[in-house]
Amino acid sequence: MSSDVVVELDGVRKCFGPRVIFDDVSLSVHRSEVVAVIGPSGAGKSTLIRCINQLNTFEKGVIRVLGHEVYGTEEGRPPLRRDDLRRLRTEIGMVFQTFNLFPHLSVMKNVMLAPQRVKGRSEAEAAAQAQELLEMIGLSHRKDAYPRQLSGGEQQRVAICRALAMEPEVMLFDEPTSMLDPELVGEVLAAIRRLAVDGMTMILVTHEMMFAKEIADTVVVVADGGIAEMGPAKEVLSTPKTERARSFLERVLLHTGGDTGPQAAASEGGFDAASGGFDDPTLSWSREVDEKGLR
Amino acid sequence: MTVQLASILGLWGSYLPSFMRGLVITMEITGLGLAVAVVLGAILAGFKLSKFKALRVIATVYVDIIRSIPVLVLLFLAYYGLGQLGLTLSGIASATAALGAFYAALLCEIFRGGVQGVERGQREAADALGLGRVSGFVRVILPQAVLRILPPSTNQLSNIIKDSSLVVTIGVADLMARSYEASATTFEPMDMFVLAGLIYMALYLVIARAIGRWELNVQRRRG
Repeated sequence: MSSDVVVELDGVRKCFGPRVIFDDVSLSVHRSEVVAVIGPSGAGKSTLIRCINQLNTFEKGVIRVLGHEVYGTEEGRPPLRRDDLRRLRTEIGMVFQTFNLFPHLSVMKNVMLAPQRVKGRSEAEAAAQAQELLEMIGLSHRKDAYPRQLSGGEQQRVAICRALAMEPEVMLFDEPTSMLDPELVGEVLAAIRRLAVDGMTMILVTHEMMFAKEIADTVVVVADGGIAEMGPAKEVLSTPKTERARSFLERVLLHTGGDTGPQAAASEGGFDAASGGFDDPTLSWSREVDEKGLR
Repeated sequence: MTVQLASILGLWGSYLPSFMRGLVITMEITGLGLAVAVVLGAILAGFKLSKFKALRVIATVYVDIIRSIPVLVLLFLAYYGLGQLGLTLSGIASATAALGAFYAALLCEIFRGGVQGVERGQREAADALGLGRVSGFVRVILPQAVLRILPPSTNQLSNIIKDSSLVVTIGVADLMARSYEASATTFEPMDMFVLAGLIYMALYLVIARAIGRWELNVQRRRG
């Protein structure tokens, strides 16, 4: 494992009962790399990243996250000790499709809870850090609100802050925008873009193809029980080499209403990754895409 | 009519101190029984949610047996039955044991349902943040479960208050016993039992209102 590899999957197989979801998945994610995982629904994209922080177990293979090693349950190794599992998880930030904010805690307390309880930070330290994160993400004015009082986009941005408060080495995003109303997608993508610009290592399961093309270094197409294709984002998305990846991308681009095939979509790149301004939540990105009629 | 009302109020007034002393005993029995029921019910709920089958079986068997037995039978078992075995319990201790044992079985199911009703994503979010099992439960799951547990538990509270009156059968001087005694002395059972009923009602309503108000406040605060 070379020194700048943050996450490495080696021959991972996941089954639900007798059904194999995917098999022999191998993948390396380097520091500051942004990996987008795309593919048809039911292919196991979410399950794949949930294996990384052990929200799902897997049967075969090994996953390494920095110094931690997790083996498949059928590899004949003793299961991970509870403390080791916790330590592994503190290296990994996770953002869920359904936000999963703690509804009984204010925005501030949501962000402060884990640093206080897991890292033993004082209330003052945790509050200062939470304040800083919320300011960065443009939500400090909502710090005393409760999750139910926030829009979906705001909730998801708080969830991102909550994960960042643990200062993770890698962030996992499990379809972070698919539960959002279309007009709220942009603000969440802006937050993610900002992290990419800051050099956060990220693995992102997404259906936002244009966004994947914009911020991802690497695109992984998961389909039919494994990785159908993997490579530099622009190449995979514009000139997929395998039939499975090509047919998936064609279907997606047709569905999103573009008259563009993968080829045409490629030439429309040119989003400015650095412009993820949080002061302006009405984001250039979603507007541009709206104008192009892709959404 | 006014004369009659005045005489009832006069009668009530003269027995009120006695009834109030009875009410204290009723509240004592209810409170102690409830405390035992909550603790034992929480332990049983923990058993039911355990990954160990033996514990789940123990809890299930306990709940199935206990809740099918009338509280009065449990009370007599505690008071007379255990006495026969050499374990003599006072009336109040017997009532605490019987009410505690019975309502633990009911609260166990309510607690289990409340904990299981918290969305799975909450546990996952706590896990993903590296919160341990204990902090995850205490800080994330429990505060949400409480709001699901409170309304059905408040209903059980009304039952436990009412069932506390069964101690009249073992000679504990609770509110029920006081009213029984007063009706026998005055030959005014209607007046005396109406008064007892009103006091039981007031006790429940005051507590239920307080819980309800607290619950509403919490919910309002959380949006």
